[in-house]
Amino acid sequence: MNLHDPHFENRLMMTRRQLFGRSALGVGTAAMANLLGNDLLASSGPAGPGTHHPAKAKRVIYLFMSGGPSHHDLWDYKPKMQEMFGQDLPEYVRDGQRITGMTAGQKTLPVCPTKYKFTKQENNDRGVYVSELLPHTATVAKDLCVVHSTFTEAINHDPAITYIQTGSQIPGRPSLGAWLSYGLGSTNDNLPGYVVMHAHSSFAEQSLFGRLWGSGFLPSDHQGVLMRSQGDAVLYLNNPKGVTRKDRRAQLDTLVALNQEQHKRFADPDILARIKQHEMAYRMQTSVPELMDLSGESDSTFELYGEEARNPGTFAASCLNARRLAERGVRNIQIFHRGWDAHGALPKEHESQCKDVDQGCAALIKDLKQRGMLDETLVVWGGEFGRTAYCQGGLTRANYGRDHHPRCFTVWMAGGGVKPGITYGQTDDFGYNIADADGNPLRPQPNKDRWTPGTMHIHDLNATILHLLGIDHRKLTYRYQGRDFRLTDVHGHVMYDLLV
Amino acid sequence: MALLAISILISHTAFAAERLDFSREILPILSDKCFVCHGPDAKEKELRLDSFEAATGDRGGYRAIDPDKPEASEVLVRIHDKEDPMPPVDAEKQLTDVERLMLEKWVKQGGNYAKHWAFIPPVKATSQKSVDGYVSAALEKKNSNLAPEADRATLARRAGFILTGLPPEPEQLEHFLADKSNGAYEKFVDAMLDSPRYGEHQARYWLDAVRYGDTHGLHLDNRRGIYPYRDWVIQALNDNLPLDDFITWQLAGDLLPNPTLAQQVATGFVRMNPTTSEGGALPQEFQAKNNFDRTETLGTVFLGLTMSCARCHTHKYDPIVHNEYYSLLAFFNSTAEKPLDGNKYDYGPALKAPKDHTAWNAWEAAHQEALELLKPLGDEAKPWRERLINLSKQESQPKANELATRLTDLEADFTTTLVARELEKPRPTKLLLRGEYNQPTGDALEPNVPAVMGALPPEAPKNRLGLAQWLTSRAHPLVSRVLINRVWQRVFGDGLVRTPEDFGVQGEQPTHPELLDWLAVELQESGWDLKHMLRLMVTSQTFKQESAWRKDIEDPENRLFSRGPSFRLDAEVLRDLALWASELLDPHMGGEGVKPYQPSGLWSALAHPASNTKKYERDQTELLYRRSLYVYWKRTSPHPMMTLFDAPNRESSCVRRSRSSTSLQSLALFNETQRLEMGRKLAERLLREGSNDTERLDLLFTLLASRNPTATERNACDSLINAMRERFQSDAESAQALVSVGEAPRNEALDLTDLATWTQVATTVLASDVALLLY
Repeated sequence: MNLHDPHFENRLMMTRRQLFGRSALGVGTAAMANLLGNDLLASSGPAGPGTHHPAKAKRVIYLFMSGGPSHHDLWDYKPKMQEMFGQDLPEYVRDGQRITGMTAGQKTLPVCPTKYKFTKQENNDRGVYVSELLPHTATVAKDLCVVHSTFTEAINHDPAITYIQTGSQIPGRPSLGAWLSYGLGSTNDNLPGYVVMHAHSSFAEQSLFGRLWGSGFLPSDHQGVLMRSQGDAVLYLNNPKGVTRKDRRAQLDTLVALNQEQHKRFADPDILARIKQHEMAYRMQTSVPELMDLSGESDSTFELYGEEARNPGTFAASCLNARRLAERGVRNIQIFHRGWDAHGALPKEHESQCKDVDQGCAALIKDLKQRGMLDETLVVWGGEFGRTAYCQGGLTRANYGRDHHPRCFTVWMAGGGVKPGITYGQTDDFGYNIADADGNPLRPQPNKDRWTPGTMHIHDLNATILHLLGIDHRKLTYRYQGRDFRLTDVHGHVMYDLLV
Repeated sequence: MALLAISILISHTAFAAERLDFSREILPILSDKCFVCHGPDAKEKELRLDSFEAATGDRGGYRAIDPDKPEASEVLVRIHDKEDPMPPVDAEKQLTDVERLMLEKWVKQGGNYAKHWAFIPPVKATSQKSVDGYVSAALEKKNSNLAPEADRATLARRAGFILTGLPPEPEQLEHFLADKSNGAYEKFVDAMLDSPRYGEHQARYWLDAVRYGDTHGLHLDNRRGIYPYRDWVIQALNDNLPLDDFITWQLAGDLLPNPTLAQQVATGFVRMNPTTSEGGALPQEFQAKNNFDRTETLGTVFLGLTMSCARCHTHKYDPIVHNEYYSLLAFFNSTAEKPLDGNKYDYGPALKAPKDHTAWNAWEAAHQEALELLKPLGDEAKPWRERLINLSKQESQPKANELATRLTDLEADFTTTLVARELEKPRPTKLLLRGEYNQPTGDALEPNVPAVMGALPPEAPKNRLGLAQWLTSRAHPLVSRVLINRVWQRVFGDGLVRTPEDFGVQGEQPTHPELLDWLAVELQESGWDLKHMLRLMVTSQTFKQESAWRKDIEDPENRLFSRGPSFRLDAEVLRDLALWASELLDPHMGGEGVKPYQPSGLWSALAHPASNTKKYERDQTELLYRRSLYVYWKRTSPHPMMTLFDAPNRESSCVRRSRSSTSLQSLALFNETQRLEMGRKLAERLLREGSNDTERLDLLFTLLASRNPTATERNACDSLINAMRERFQSDAESAQALVSVGEAPRNEALDLTDLATWTQVATTVLASDVALLLY
């Protein structure tokens, strides 16, 4: 591409103007990256001129547990509930909390203690209890920053998952990943900058939505690219039968000549940008299969991730892919695992769910660490809300279900600038309300000026993720409909307590 | 550099002798930098800077703006105050040096206020009388003028795409090129406007705006009965239904006296918000959310204003008060559907309507015949149907009997479509504190419109019909501007206001304010005649300019419209173009959304196990080749060939699509099943109609570019032809594999090597900017 072409320079100026006009600090490097090719940005690095402040993390891997994992059965140890098995949840605990339409009609809300054993794991703080359902994750407790006091306002899946992923309960906003793509651009010329994977689950009970990795009103090239285990790894990646790589090269040579002729006639710089994209597509056709080809992985890798990791589409395989993507400079990776919505048969379902994810999670942390990448990779694990202390449906010691619970749930982070091995926040004896150190319920009512120490609203989580990647959540904005929108709306506080 | 920029700006604006234009030069600064605290939503007792009265009020011995002693104005002191500046040091947005100077000059000129331009009804300026007049006048100020006219073939292609979403047929093109008479182009344009393809193409823009989808959109995202609404939109546009009626029927067709079937079907607009029936969802919560969605969509589509701010508090920027939002919302709060959709296809109120264009025509014909037959008999107070049945019972009336039977037969084949109905007893609407559904407060609010945009017409009922009357009244400052701006955008690639979704204080200023107003008034004066407006635009010299970037003027974003329109065509157009060129396009109009090829597993990877849109069942036969606006729209997972090329998901209103260029698009253009099938069928056509490579390339370029290839293009294609021919001659298996993609049967009479070779060529040219761009 001829960078000295006057029309192209014009266009560049224009793009810069838009950037500075539209995003308050001119972070939106991505629009530039698309135009210029990433080579020009490579020198800037993650903490380069594109970011608001030096980034702690170069990339994020978000392990999203869709449906609402039960903090009661995985992370939040509440021995006192055992004594109250089956008794009605005291009124003062619920304190007017609204209940979903599914349990609102129940005559009682019987206290439902977990049936699983918890073991205290040493960490660099007060220790952390981990359920027997997560034996592998327990082994990396010293690397995790476990937050028991995450909360949201939404009580149903669609609004809640839309809320945590886009900052609004009503569809229409860009996703977290799209914001990151807009803010960070890509550092790999041969792979997409924002990759989304859907891992298999035996209980795919809740739906996902394109909007969760969609671009909303941001330019649509910021939408997540699905990396699939079925068919082409990336949609339409492979040439049709009968067309070789050499054939495609010949096609592209002709196409480039046609486009250059078009450019000669119209001098529109978009034409040049499109030629670059065709070339990148051509490179992706080898870089993606190379990425997906695990034959070069050692036996120890599969010991770490488990044999499951050899089966494309499993959570373990997705985690391995995430590591391989991270190695190749992809900065924005999300794995969605469905099936955590355990209303009726929680033990059966969660046992299977945990088996799906446990080893992969731990392996990812260990693997990143042994490769010296954990420090610069933020790993996040969590769902859209927690689950109730009371049982939905029939309660026995062996089987029970739990409804949605927004007031507290557990999220963990690791690497990329968060303190390793800490346990943050706590809940009351019923795992119902966020509580202070003495167990007294806190009722956080955050607004833009007020944050309650010891709590983490989902906007705070998102603000913190952006912060670690070098982005000020208040400044990464995009003007749409006359308003400078941002991921955290008018909310969000960076969780400095969690940062190195 | 910065200093230089400032001094240039100053010399142009702030220190120039003429008075500042408050609305265009000062209000945007106040709005962007000051209104967060000092705007319509300011705290009580806090200074407000959004009106002259407030800004000049006595604040205990001093005034923010002192028109008598401008130098003493507190505003001036504070914006220059190093110790205690405004905006405060920690404010997210700071004033620039230029803005400080502008404010200073404005205050010294007396600090006069004026209404934001978009809230003042448009009037036609007298300076110019045509599109070209206004555009040329602006160019002349830059010592420039319009670019030369594009060649006629390019023009024909351009007008074809803009009006019908397809290029002209080769015969049409040939005829037009041969017609040297005056008015040949106008005749050509009229033919495009009369084509049934016109309504289909124009409908797409509307369907984006109203967020049309074939599914409910939330949670299970089940199927929804609504496509007769889409077919009505197409028909209304083809019939050139005046836009004021177009709006009225959609908002309130059910409230018109003796509404026709079409008028009721049109109210599907009111039902277009995404809905849910998630297990735990609370009715009261979704009654509120559904209404938010409709109110805010009304804001985007008709008012070009963001209403969502006022959901939680008085608007920070535009003069829309918190309770005005809820008064506007009240128009929608009394529709009869339940707040939760029950995951049902016929989430009522619904009625039955014809299932495609042919069925509409047949029913409409029978209906008209019935009306003719009944006309001489009077008694028009009774519904026509009842009268027809009564008449058909008389033995002397075989015609009535035949008609009644025919209508019954036609109606047996009708399909469900969601419509709006009003509750007998309206639901009370209250302001919701911070937009929380469970925090209603104060007295019930009457349906009403925001005061800054005028008032409901005196006779207007306080329901959706009154709302429509207000929107379509001549006094409305926004609707005609907002609509015509989007028409301009689809013709010229960008609007006169480049934020078509926001005409408020924070939106962009029009590039050609007088032209925008002239067009807005022309739209009203023409009887809201969309075809007239489109004709006026595409026959302008501005439209006819060459679209090449010019070296003699600095206009990268074409804000001066110093060159003709040029942009990458939309997702639907790209597919339709290839279907058309390959003669696969099925002209059937209307009907249930179609499901062309789609990689397997896309829906099941997302969908709830109980969803009835979990499995994508691909269509067979000609349904694969319908125009793209008929492609089934599952809102949580629209077809990838749509979203990869920037189509919105239709969960929320979209009045401007992005135009991205990505590597994924390249992969799709070369490897997607339908692209390959279309490439092959196009190759068959070229082989059939051209007897040698030269003729075939000529035809290929004529179809896609309305011209023959240049020598360079011919060389580029020849080298591909030669390479592919050589390759496929020695590898019949590959050739066979390539030409076997897609359901359309292969023309066995054609030589395999030739067909495979030309499939590669056609696919490549279809993927190139020769085909991808409007120019």
